[in-house]
Amino acid sequence: MADLVPQFLVNWVDWGMGIFNSLPAWLQYLTITTWKILFVMIAVILIVAFSTYFERKVIGSMQARVGPNRVGPLGLGQPFADVIKLLIKEVVVPSQSSKFLFVIAPLLSLTPALAAWAVIPLNDWYVIADINAGLLYVLALTSVGVYGVILAGWATNSKYALLGAMRSAAQIVAYEIAMGFALVGVLMAGGSLNLGEIVMAQEGGVSHWFLIPLLPLFVVYWVSGVAETNRAPFDVAEGESEIVAGFHVEYSGVAFAVFFLAEYANMVLISTLTAIFFLGGWASPFEGWTFLNDIPWLAWLTAGGLHWLFTKMCMFMYTFFWFRATFPRYRYDQIMRLGWKIFIPVTIIWIGVEGVMAWFQVGPWSGLGA
Amino acid sequence: MIGLEHYLTLAAMLFVLSIAGIIINRRNLILLLMCVEIMLLAVNFNFIAFSRYLGDETGQVFVFFILTVAAAEAAIGLAILVVLFRNRQSIAVQELNTLKG
Amino acid sequence: MLHSILFYVFAVAMLGAAMGVVFSRNPVHSVMFLVLTFFQSALLWILAEAEFLAIVLVLVYVGAVMVLFLFVVMMLDVNIEAAKRGLTRYSFLGIGIALVMAIELVQLIWLRSQGAAGTGGFAPTPEGYSNTEALGAVLYTEHAYAFEIAAVILLLAIVAAITLTMRKRPGIKVQNIAAQVAVRAKDRLRVVKMDAEKKQ
Repeated sequence: MADLVPQFLVNWVDWGMGIFNSLPAWLQYLTITTWKILFVMIAVILIVAFSTYFERKVIGSMQARVGPNRVGPLGLGQPFADVIKLLIKEVVVPSQSSKFLFVIAPLLSLTPALAAWAVIPLNDWYVIADINAGLLYVLALTSVGVYGVILAGWATNSKYALLGAMRSAAQIVAYEIAMGFALVGVLMAGGSLNLGEIVMAQEGGVSHWFLIPLLPLFVVYWVSGVAETNRAPFDVAEGESEIVAGFHVEYSGVAFAVFFLAEYANMVLISTLTAIFFLGGWASPFEGWTFLNDIPWLAWLTAGGLHWLFTKMCMFMYTFFWFRATFPRYRYDQIMRLGWKIFIPVTIIWIGVEGVMAWFQVGPWSGLGA
Repeated sequence: MIGLEHYLTLAAMLFVLSIAGIIINRRNLILLLMCVEIMLLAVNFNFIAFSRYLGDETGQVFVFFILTVAAAEAAIGLAILVVLFRNRQSIAVQELNTLKG
Repeated sequence: MLHSILFYVFAVAMLGAAMGVVFSRNPVHSVMFLVLTFFQSALLWILAEAEFLAIVLVLVYVGAVMVLFLFVVMMLDVNIEAAKRGLTRYSFLGIGIALVMAIELVQLIWLRSQGAAGTGGFAPTPEGYSNTEALGAVLYTEHAYAFEIAAVILLLAIVAAITLTMRKRPGIKVQNIAAQVAVRAKDRLRVVKMDAEKKQ
């Protein structure tokens, strides 16, 4: 097999590796990390672009109609057509607004959504930054995402945009607390702030996933995630039939494209995080079914890997689209009541219950010593 | 090599800047609260630098508590500011002189 | 060496942002400069290997307290013209005091510590050191009492903020959401069976 590879390719690879090995250690690390970041970013942006297409297809099929099917085969060129349209549109800056804040707001929305991918383990070896405070880092970045919304509303110099932005920001801050408490529950079960170790703590098949012992926290985290990204049924801030587009009403062209991208990137991030925290991340649900290894064409099912994480993420993205097609919009005071008066007490009580479970060594703690 | 003195100098610069901010600022009560936050940040720097220098975690625990108290104080300070604005319709520092004897 | 370069870059950015807080005309710009200051200080704390506190700074300060500041700044109608007038009166005094204090502090830190033990970098942390675990080991055991008091202080802040700012405006109608959610179909709808009328 090896002699089928042409000799000039082998020479090039050797030459490249020679240069690589001669670099100082920190430059090698920098090169590898840059390539890792590039791959993840390209993958994320492609996923985000196609999720806009899939949303329209899925919602269309739920409403008994065909989604986009004009641009390219099966309408697959739709995201590219959308991007080109948004890029060549004129960016209208309102005259009395602060230009600097107007331009920086979409960036403040997009950057945390993309930066959080630095700590997400796609595989048992592929993490861009394997830090022992990954969970905290993710929480901190979702907190920073509020600024894009507030500054967009303010810099637009429009009363309706400001109102929409304030409402949206208050909603995001309220559900952040519920998410944080739910993640404290996951932290107690996983025993580490490192996301890779949280995934490893869930190995051993579906019964070891945190979904079952921490089911209420899963529900709270998932619904809070939907509320954080301002998606239906919590999209009162950008309620398309009421206040047009809320905080990004005056944005057009590239600036709007960045907001749009940020919303879908946040959705993909929340889906992936839910899969990692509660569904075992890249672990296979058929792990431990060793009898499958004897059947030749089913043996790949037991191996964990990136494809399982991708499948779980797609499942949660489908649920996002399903929620949008199905549920009517919540009213704003109902949203705030749910966040403050229901989710936070539920999570606090559940952390107490989890403490008791850990004491009596039920569930994920059953293997512990005294 | 970055050592203890660098961090302490940085903290001193921040502290001094915030004092200048408090003295210069005559227009905006919110700016005063922000300068107090910068002062607390400078003190946090000192604690962290010494905690790393002496290898004792107590410094960082104290930073934790300073963060807590500073957040509480910012919240209450802003609440007082909002009530003040409702009553006086102004937050310029030089106009808050009705208790002047 | 990379460490030193990063330290100076972050330090200069932080001091620049702090000056932007004090000298900026627009209060929203001041708040955003303060956010930048906190970010840079979090990066500097990560350089000093106190990563738990750095991330908690971003989470608590940038994520919550600064959002609170932004809300208040945006809701209050700040008069920009009055702002510009008040700048120059005390600025010489302020900058003078600041310079004197700065020179004194720098002299104390640098010149008086020559020859004292411990100049040079921090001692490297041992292998397998986790800042979070080390903090947790100390916080809940030695300082558990202080931790409880910090929790009470936060409760106090919540109660105080609500007591100060909540006003009951008479004459407004609010919906009781719990009652709305608890409604049953049979309270709202009654199905009646009627015989079909014969067409006259």
